[in-house]
Amino acid sequence: MKESLFEFILPDLGEGVVEAEIRAWHVAVGERVKEHQSALEVETDKAVVDVPVPRAGIIRTLNHEVGDRVPVGSVLLTIATGEFEADSVPAPAAGAVVSPVRKSHGIVGVLPEAPSAGPPEGPVTEAPVVSGEKKAVPLRALPRVRALAKARGVALETLRGSGPDGRITEEDVLTAAGAEPSGDAGDSGRRVPLAGLRRRIAEHLLEAQRRTAFVTTMAETDVTRLWTLKARQRDELAGRGVKLTLLPFFMKATQHALAEFPRLNARVDEAAGEIELLAECHLGVAVDSREGLLVPVVRDVGTKSVVDLAIELQQLAEQAESRSLSREQLQGSTFTLTNFGGFGGSFATPVINYPNVAILGFGGISEKPWVVEGEIVIRRILPLSLTFDHRVLDGAEATRFLVRVGQFLEDPGLLFIESV
Amino acid sequence: MSKKIIASFTVSRLEILDEQGRTDAELMPDLTDDDLVRLYELMLLTRQFDQRALHLQREGRLGTYPSVLGQEASQVGSAYALQNSDWLFPAFRELGVFVTLGYPLAEIYQYWNGDERGLLCPEQLNIFPICIAVGTHIPHAVGAAMAARYRGDPIATACYFGDGGTSKGDFHEGLNMAGVFQAPVVFIIQNNQWAISISRNHQTAAETLAQKAIAYGIPGIQVDGNDVLAVYQATREALQRARSGGGPSLIECETYRMADHTTADDAARYRDPEEVQRWQRRDPLLRMRRFLADRGLWDDARQQQLETEIDARLDRAVAREEATPPARARDIFAYTWTEMTPRQKRQLQQLRDLRELDHG
Repeated sequence: MKESLFEFILPDLGEGVVEAEIRAWHVAVGERVKEHQSALEVETDKAVVDVPVPRAGIIRTLNHEVGDRVPVGSVLLTIATGEFEADSVPAPAAGAVVSPVRKSHGIVGVLPEAPSAGPPEGPVTEAPVVSGEKKAVPLRALPRVRALAKARGVALETLRGSGPDGRITEEDVLTAAGAEPSGDAGDSGRRVPLAGLRRRIAEHLLEAQRRTAFVTTMAETDVTRLWTLKARQRDELAGRGVKLTLLPFFMKATQHALAEFPRLNARVDEAAGEIELLAECHLGVAVDSREGLLVPVVRDVGTKSVVDLAIELQQLAEQAESRSLSREQLQGSTFTLTNFGGFGGSFATPVINYPNVAILGFGGISEKPWVVEGEIVIRRILPLSLTFDHRVLDGAEATRFLVRVGQFLEDPGLLFIESV
Repeated sequence: MSKKIIASFTVSRLEILDEQGRTDAELMPDLTDDDLVRLYELMLLTRQFDQRALHLQREGRLGTYPSVLGQEASQVGSAYALQNSDWLFPAFRELGVFVTLGYPLAEIYQYWNGDERGLLCPEQLNIFPICIAVGTHIPHAVGAAMAARYRGDPIATACYFGDGGTSKGDFHEGLNMAGVFQAPVVFIIQNNQWAISISRNHQTAAETLAQKAIAYGIPGIQVDGNDVLAVYQATREALQRARSGGGPSLIECETYRMADHTTADDAARYRDPEEVQRWQRRDPLLRMRRFLADRGLWDDARQQQLETEIDARLDRAVAREEATPPARARDIFAYTWTEMTPRQKRQLQQLRDLRELDHG
């Protein structure tokens, strides 16, 4: 039995396509396929594309599931090629999903990548030769990257390239040199590609700015009492493993205010020329992750307690950090909150999370002199910034909504009065 | 004082073979049965090569590729009228022309795989490099034609471009100059109705592209671009006129780009699927096959045999292409100038210095 395993790598299907979403598999594990037989359907930024396989053989693994977004260069599936006895080779269970690996491994020993990379004809002097007669894979790196490596004293041959075809990138060199790969401090003068998540954020924000008539209104509210309540309950909940922050309170206040101002919990159906008022309250919560902004959605906030929300937020934050949020968890918000106070900001002009109608931003709470019943006292003040789509509602209504959120936060007991 | 008509013009359209495979006996070109079969075989080869290229691209084995699906007659028919001594100035969607002239198939794949060595034209052919930049090669074709005329060479140049190319300044300059100097050049418009996402109606307010010839004082004609016989006949007449000192001509082949602009495009985003279906019925291969079958020159068995033969030929071409070692970085310097400039010498040295890093 002599079998080699061919790894089918997702190619760049367009010009500059960086990833594709798997829409359907047309083949199954264990199935015998012909060269050029259609294996799957994927969707890129540009098109829905049918992808055929480059080799004949038997499908051994399908490495991704429908709905997965797969970066260009990942292994899509593996095919057993060459001389094999189909029946004698134990096939993985149907639907088996294995973690992607980059190099080709044979069942017996290591095999050459693919016939296409076969030995060149005639003498080739430039192919770097390392120990003995074994030919090394040529180093792939742009001159700029090579120059950078030289300047930083990084030996390229010690690196494993993360780029297409194992190409060594600037990031690889910088990482090896001990520099922060994505921090901006050491990167001045460097061009960073607007790719992946960063690009989708960019496109989404731009769409919101293009398609809405956005206005921001701002207010300040005294949250001293809420602060005290949170401080009081915090330790008790910490004992139960729940980290209580103010965000769940912000969500409850927003949910109750939205119930009174349904136009802010809506979406515009541009095709029908209608405003769709939404019955459910699903709040998007902007989360800062290592790779950029993500907005997971907390569903049915109206059916969840402050503690429920605190637990759910904790989970979402962990998932955002590990990039394990599912598509469903990132879709379907009816309104969005953004809490940038932790970074030291006060007021902002948040961008609407289209197709939402509005977004509410919470700034940093600070102690300020405040007038209460004719006396100047020190209170904890929360800055609020509401960006709304002026097409859907006017400033008066938006401001009344904002004031209402402020009232709930100023006097949390009101939530008790309002809740059903 | 008076106002009167001082000149009037007509625009002709040539159709010989209709969708059902029927022909007009009076207009039939002077072609043998072998020629007729050969035209069909070349169109089929073009189509299968094209389909294979699309597969290879999706499999990561070819770069961005522009399909010629639907334009086989416009390309095979016109190229069939060319002689080896004529010069070809292609744009980039002329696979059928290359195939007809006998360009090595492996090298065509090689070029679309991003390897410029695929454009190294075989000795016996006269083909300028593929020109991706729209219309910029039109003045080159005119210049080459003028040179041939000065030298007294009895040849013509054939310049291919699309409907989009007719909106370029190069088109105006080229056709004007060709008319003034009676250059032996034939301009062949592949009017496939779409310049990426710009439809023919948005390209020009003129009713036909053929009528643009009138302004330059040269003959122009529109042909049914999915009718390989009409395309052949019109091109043959124009080439003969050019070679015998009769000056330039413009031919508008009215055809249709059945596929996306390239593999990096999704035409469904901007064009009506019904329009594509309408053109499906006008398929250039289908009508020729019907015509040959009616004449007893073709049957299903031959069709199947040829398809299998072509597949095997394509297998060999792909295998050859994929076995070709990649170009070396230093080759850039070898193919740019006969002798390197001091600056290029410095750059080559820099490249070598960088390469030394590889060896530690």
